Amino acid sequence: MKNYFKSKGFITVLASVISIVVGLLIGFILLIVFNPAYAVGGLGSIVSKGFSSSDKFAKVLYQAAPLIMTGLSVGFAFKTGLFNIGATGQYTVGAFMALVFGIQFQMPWWVCLLAAMIGGAIWGFIPGICKALFNVNEVITSIMFNWLGLFMVNLLLNNMPVMLADHWGASNKDRTAALASANPSAIIPKLGLNELFHSNYMNISIFIAIIIAVVIYIILEKRTFGYELKACGFNKDASIYAGINAKRNIVLSMVISGALAGIGGGIYYLSGTAQYTIVKSLLTMGFNGIPVALLGASSPIGIIFAALFISYIQVGGEALQPEYAKEIIDIIIAVIIYLSAFSLLVKNILGKFIKTDTSNVNAEDKAPTPPEPAPVKTTEAAPTEEKGGNE
Amino acid sequence: MSWTSILADIIGATILFAVPLLLVALGGMFSERSGVINIALEGIMIVGALCSCLTLVGLDKAGFGTTHPQLGMFIAILVAAASGAVFSLLLAFASINLRADQTIGGTALNMLAPAFAIVLTWAVQGQGQTTILIPTWTRITQENFGIEKADTFFQNLIFKSFYLTTIVAVILFICAYVLMYKTRFGLRLRSCGEHPQAADSVGINVFKMRYAGVIISGCLGGIGGLAFTVAAGSGFQSSVAGYGFLALAVMIFGNWKPFTILGASLFFALFKIIGSYSDSIPFLPSFKNVNSSEYIYLMLPYVVTMIVLILTSKHSRAPKAEGIPYDKGTR
Amino acid sequence: MSDYVIEMLNITKRFPGIVANDNITLQLKKGEVHALLGENGAGKSTLMSVLFGLYQPEEGCIKKNGEVVKINDPNDANALHIGMVHQHFKLVECFSVLDNIILGVEPNKMGFLQKKEARAKVLELSEKYGLKVDPDALIEDISVGMQQRVEILKMLYRENEILIFDEPTAVLTPQEIDELMEIMRGFKAEGKSILFITHKLNEIMAVADRCTVLRKGKYMGTVNVADTTKEELSKMMVGRNVNFKVDKCDCKPGETVFKAEHVTVPSKLHKKNAVNDVSFEVRAGEIVCLAGIEGNGQTEFVQGITGLTKMSSGRIELLGKDITNATIREKSIMGISHIPEDRHKHGLVLDYSLEQNMVLQQYWEPQFQHNGFIKQQAVREYAEKLIDQFDVRSGQGPITTARSMSGGNQQKAIIAREISKDPKLLIAVQPTRGLDVGAIEYIHKQLVKERDEGKAVLLVSLELDEVMNVSDRILVMYEGEIVGEFDPKTVTVQELGLYMAGAKRQDGHDSKKEEA
Repeated sequence: MKNYFKSKGFITVLASVISIVVGLLIGFILLIVFNPAYAVGGLGSIVSKGFSSSDKFAKVLYQAAPLIMTGLSVGFAFKTGLFNIGATGQYTVGAFMALVFGIQFQMPWWVCLLAAMIGGAIWGFIPGICKALFNVNEVITSIMFNWLGLFMVNLLLNNMPVMLADHWGASNKDRTAALASANPSAIIPKLGLNELFHSNYMNISIFIAIIIAVVIYIILEKRTFGYELKACGFNKDASIYAGINAKRNIVLSMVISGALAGIGGGIYYLSGTAQYTIVKSLLTMGFNGIPVALLGASSPIGIIFAALFISYIQVGGEALQPEYAKEIIDIIIAVIIYLSAFSLLVKNILGKFIKTDTSNVNAEDKAPTPPEPAPVKTTEAAPTEEKGGNE
Repeated sequence: MSWTSILADIIGATILFAVPLLLVALGGMFSERSGVINIALEGIMIVGALCSCLTLVGLDKAGFGTTHPQLGMFIAILVAAASGAVFSLLLAFASINLRADQTIGGTALNMLAPAFAIVLTWAVQGQGQTTILIPTWTRITQENFGIEKADTFFQNLIFKSFYLTTIVAVILFICAYVLMYKTRFGLRLRSCGEHPQAADSVGINVFKMRYAGVIISGCLGGIGGLAFTVAAGSGFQSSVAGYGFLALAVMIFGNWKPFTILGASLFFALFKIIGSYSDSIPFLPSFKNVNSSEYIYLMLPYVVTMIVLILTSKHSRAPKAEGIPYDKGTR
Repeated sequence: MSDYVIEMLNITKRFPGIVANDNITLQLKKGEVHALLGENGAGKSTLMSVLFGLYQPEEGCIKKNGEVVKINDPNDANALHIGMVHQHFKLVECFSVLDNIILGVEPNKMGFLQKKEARAKVLELSEKYGLKVDPDALIEDISVGMQQRVEILKMLYRENEILIFDEPTAVLTPQEIDELMEIMRGFKAEGKSILFITHKLNEIMAVADRCTVLRKGKYMGTVNVADTTKEELSKMMVGRNVNFKVDKCDCKPGETVFKAEHVTVPSKLHKKNAVNDVSFEVRAGEIVCLAGIEGNGQTEFVQGITGLTKMSSGRIELLGKDITNATIREKSIMGISHIPEDRHKHGLVLDYSLEQNMVLQQYWEPQFQHNGFIKQQAVREYAEKLIDQFDVRSGQGPITTARSMSGGNQQKAIIAREISKDPKLLIAVQPTRGLDVGAIEYIHKQLVKERDEGKAVLLVSLELDEVMNVSDRILVMYEGEIVGEFDPKTVTVQELGLYMAGAKRQDGHDSKKEEA
């Protein structure tokens, strides 16, 4: 019995590893195509830069923390059968709330973080309520809320002079004030870790993220609430039949999902090293929650490692400049998502290889009915109910 | 400026921005009515715009553009269609052959396209050169028709921002309608999005039809990318500013039907344009006390879509089998 | 020339883990009605899929008029003039009747549809064979019977000579079944050959010339119907003597457990009500059966009273308590158990393990959770107890994924769960659909056992045999209303059929409506 679970988990990990290897391979090919002279060195920096110094490693951890949060956000929604493509909007609103409480209201960091959580939760709540009450597809709503969130935040920031850097002695108007000058108490504590790593990037945010991941794990796997959420995700009709309030769960799931992304925005911009810049394009940190969740197979523990990995190659990617555009890393990440879209297929193929020696229990007791065709539903990722909005 | 010239400007600009929305939403319609959710429209637009803009630059450098401007533009449109189609094959392969989750596959392509565009633009134009400028000869002017330039209503309406893409869009719209409702192909395509098992049982190759649907969406999406870039006017910067997603909303708003999609795209474009003209239109609030009030108008189409989606969710009729990979075994 | 138009010789088709068709031979003569008999899961559908090119057999060959043919897809089958009315109709709901008929063989000029000629041909065929349809109606707006006529017209439009009917009578009233038999005889007289797939012996005796029997994927033989009896056929099909009668003592109804008053449920498909002013009672210790043709409001009625959809008006009571506005969970706590119609849609979370499914409605009870944490051990023990008690078989016991279990065992798991909740009222909707005879017998026994223990049982069934054998009282539903109440001991199947088709209606049920 134990063996079976082991192999199932093993296959999931293996599928992720294969996606990563193929992604890196394609990245390497691109490096060769665009600038053969630097290709090998470029690949080298992608795969090794993150460990090259304690400062770089601190940066890996620093970026991984918000990625864990957005990854958890997307993954948590997946478990409930929802595709929260709106993590980036929730992340933006979360960041905004954190900064408003930090700069405008001069609150300590933990109040800011709570505000970020609430901001993200509100931005998840609206698509959730639209899905639950009106059956409007959450993918469409969240996409629109990404833009709405971005535009709203930009509009508000442009009309809150205190928030901007120039109010605090800096020269630029296109970004929020540096917390160090505006309100040092809003910076997430470093507890001496910065000394340990000799890096300004290091603070306790990675630990906050990991603790939250563990809490999410417990909610999903050990609690009745998680049982309900997953039942809704796998089969909404059956969960309604079982007396579970599916609508409430959809809303709650989106609220929690949004809150997680909001915290992500909070911990990134409360680090003291980042300033929110007013631009008209969506923040990639939120979008990168999607590959993180897929790579981590929506499991909170898997997401921790996936986020570390994505952050790691991004740090490596920055070192690619100026020979290459650092967006090569985004291509690698996109390839990884593309592959994980059919992770089920990869798993099935791998499963066949591995099953021969571990277990073929599935086939044993099957009564002589014609076999049901391979279930199409991808368990961890596919919101099969997705075509909502159209009964 | 007189109110007639403002009106002409507004109508002209509305049409200009409606064109990409119309093309891309029609593309989405073909894909979705064949049964494949195409969330990758944004990425397809970017790829189409990237390749066609590079073509335009190439033609410009070769001197071909200035001598044969509209032929050059036509070539660019073909390149946009072809590159969009090729890129959409990635979606088709994942969602049709490999039965992958269509939304996730599409999301991957939406990430891939801009990254690829940036990397390629760097490689072609050199470090940090992230904008591909569109040559000025692409615009159709009075000279092309040998008309004297004058400040009349109709000239303002038509020639202020007139591109070949607009003409192509009108033709493609008619073709799309006829193809969808008057031909054998259209009937078969729609059956695959509604009930692929039924289509299969009468010998229709569901895989082929879905490939066709996705490829058509790739062509239209690619052209839409070019149309957006000429409309935006500032050159191609590896982005289409969310128009692919907006087109998706147009398609849903248009209930997956050509004529309502046409109406929806004009409606959305109008909202976009009103924002930029809010100062010159007397009855619109101009938000004098608000900094960067353009954001208010940028938000409007999304807010309206949200409201419309909520109001129409009961009557919305998405293709029944959309998003569900087809497996021959399922009967 | 060969005697046979179609021969399927020594067909073997394997799927991972099972042999769906094991060396099966089927020979169809020109101008005969040939029945293919077998239980659910005997391999009939697989065999037909092979004939249609949906599956390729590992062994064996198919011959047409004595010549070996290769059928790779439905187009090949169509080219050989083979047509089929599928059990689950293959019709595009938002298309018109005409579009559905021409789909795949559209008359066209350069790809442009030419519907005019198609319409003329369809009208002519419909006239000739008495298959009345409206070519412009949308499929979603027409009755199931008419949809079947569309399917038959599809075959005729393609000028098919070999017509396959896959379980065509499941959706028809006894009278409509008679009409269909008449149509089949007409085709036969024209020289068309008919393959008639069924598990109903009466229909075979009525219309078929010969019969091929399958059991568990194996070929059991082909017999002349004239030379055999129902008993022999059923023995061939099941492998033992089957007692179609359910053993049960007389019912001793007690107090009223469930009461429905003027229940009305709106339809999701059209503007009319799916259930219109339905009132009746179920008492302790009796099995009341809601009979009727599919789509006459039974499903909606059950969904309405269980809370899966909203009733628009009316009132329901359980043991004298008004439960009209109770939530699904409250109803479950008060003692309503529900074996749902669609076990995959409602009954099980297929990706959950068997044990997780066993506590689907009860996971929140103190027995299974403490401060919001699920007591995994308690769940495991409970599941093991039920698995043992109800003989639910699965690969890995409690941790088996529900999806990997066979249909019969999935249904057993649901029944185990619902009965073990010790309900006051047990609602069972088509509990035996798609199961083999062994499982059907088992489930019937369980229902009767529950009744004998004093539970009230509400059974919804489309199978008239089941209706007649299991129930103590029959209510016939037609177009959302109850049109008659019967005692199974005194009523005949034909009589029920008239009510099910709406041809007759008891006075009492009319007048009741007037009061309301």
